[in-house]
Amino acid sequence: MEQHTAVAEHGAQVKVTFTTTEEDIQLPEGKRQLLVPADIRRYGLSRILNSESMLDTASIPFDFLVNGSFLHTSLEDYLKANGLSIESSITLQYVRSLTPPIYEASF
Amino acid sequence: ATHISDEAGLRGFSEAMDMWTAFQTKTQGLSQSLSSQLRLILTPTQSTRLSGSFRTGKRLNIKKIIPYIASSYKRDKIWMRRSIPSKRAYQILLCVDDSSSMGDNSSGRLALESLVMVTRALTTLEVGQVGVLGFGTDVFVAHELTEPLASHDAGARILQRFTFDQQGTDMCRLLRTTIDHFAAARLTQAGAATGAEDLWQLALILSDGLVQSKDHARLRPLLRDAMEQRVMVVFIVMDDAASSSSAGVGVRGTSVLELKEARFGPDGIPVIHRYLDSFPFPYYLIVHHLDDLPSALAALLRTWFAEVNS
Ligand SMILES: [Mg+2]
Repeated sequence: MEQHTAVAEHGAQVKVTFTTTEEDIQLPEGKRQLLVPADIRRYGLSRILNSESMLDTASIPFDFLVNGSFLHTSLEDYLKANGLSIESSITLQYVRSLTPPIYEASF
Repeated sequence: ATHISDEAGLRGFSEAMDMWTAFQTKTQGLSQSLSSQLRLILTPTQSTRLSGSFRTGKRLNIKKIIPYIASSYKRDKIWMRRSIPSKRAYQILLCVDDSSSMGDNSSGRLALESLVMVTRALTTLEVGQVGVLGFGTDVFVAHELTEPLASHDAGARILQRFTFDQQGTDMCRLLRTTIDHFAAARLTQAGAATGAEDLWQLALILSDGLVQSKDHARLRPLLRDAMEQRVMVVFIVMDDAASSSSAGVGVRGTSVLELKEARFGPDGIPVIHRYLDSFPFPYYLIVHHLDDLPSALAALLRTWFAEVNS
């Protein structure tokens, strides 16, 4: 069967599952899965987690681990680099960041 | 739960045969329950409409009253009667989501079990033709409407086609293809029909319900199109939130009922909505367990027929 490549169109969404090992910033069970824009990066994901309807923590900078490595690209680039499609659900482990969240940062 | 057995991307025939038999045994009771519920809905023995002009009848035809008086009570065919229902013929397409999101959890298995259950119920009823489409990035015909679907062989050949590895879920393409397929099938049917039959076309979509939200708006005109062509579209959301994810993350899946989506406004502030709020299908039902399907589907079809007949 022909395999279509996972090039995300503009406005595409990916389903993510947020997990963390830090007890004080756990999300309630019903909020752990979310559809997010495929072109989102660390900064956008951080903003979502901090938002009122998620953790309501205003300004904790987060880093995200996918399969044990830090996410340095957009989710769609991560999918592309790993031969995955937009149909895949990505598990993102979030941790408090040690680097400040600068929008212009290269990752 | 599912895997690919040979290089062609198809499930092996004997494996598919075993699956069909297993699913059929498992769903036998449900299948019978569905077919007896559908019999009442799909094959009415009494018309709900009153019509015609008769000297005696059930209800006065108001439009005939003035001519009746004006004609000095000579034009006295002023009554309506319950008309004899016309025989209905159905063309039913079961459209099964073959995209890989279905394979990541047990939605795929639930969809195939539902497919077997519904197919069995419909073939028992003998209400018309039943076809099966598969969809993902592309749409394929797993079973033509014109082919008989009573044998295990035919069933197994359908199951062979579903491997859940299509890399996208193009619902717009599915709807377009379904409408076109039905238009062509209507012409074929018209050539063969006795003339006394009323043709109804029904598409049942079996899917995890995960459609790119940007397609929701594009789906609306297509759904209007379907309605104008008198094609009824029912979306059956396979929601297996109760079972644990087989992806190995050990996280319980969120039901599509609770699933949210995040968007960024022009101000860069994330806004979170319920995914189903923009879901464009007017007739949809959410199935958590196979056991829910017969009565849920029957209830939905009953509602729809009531709306069409009113
Ligand atoms: Mg999908």
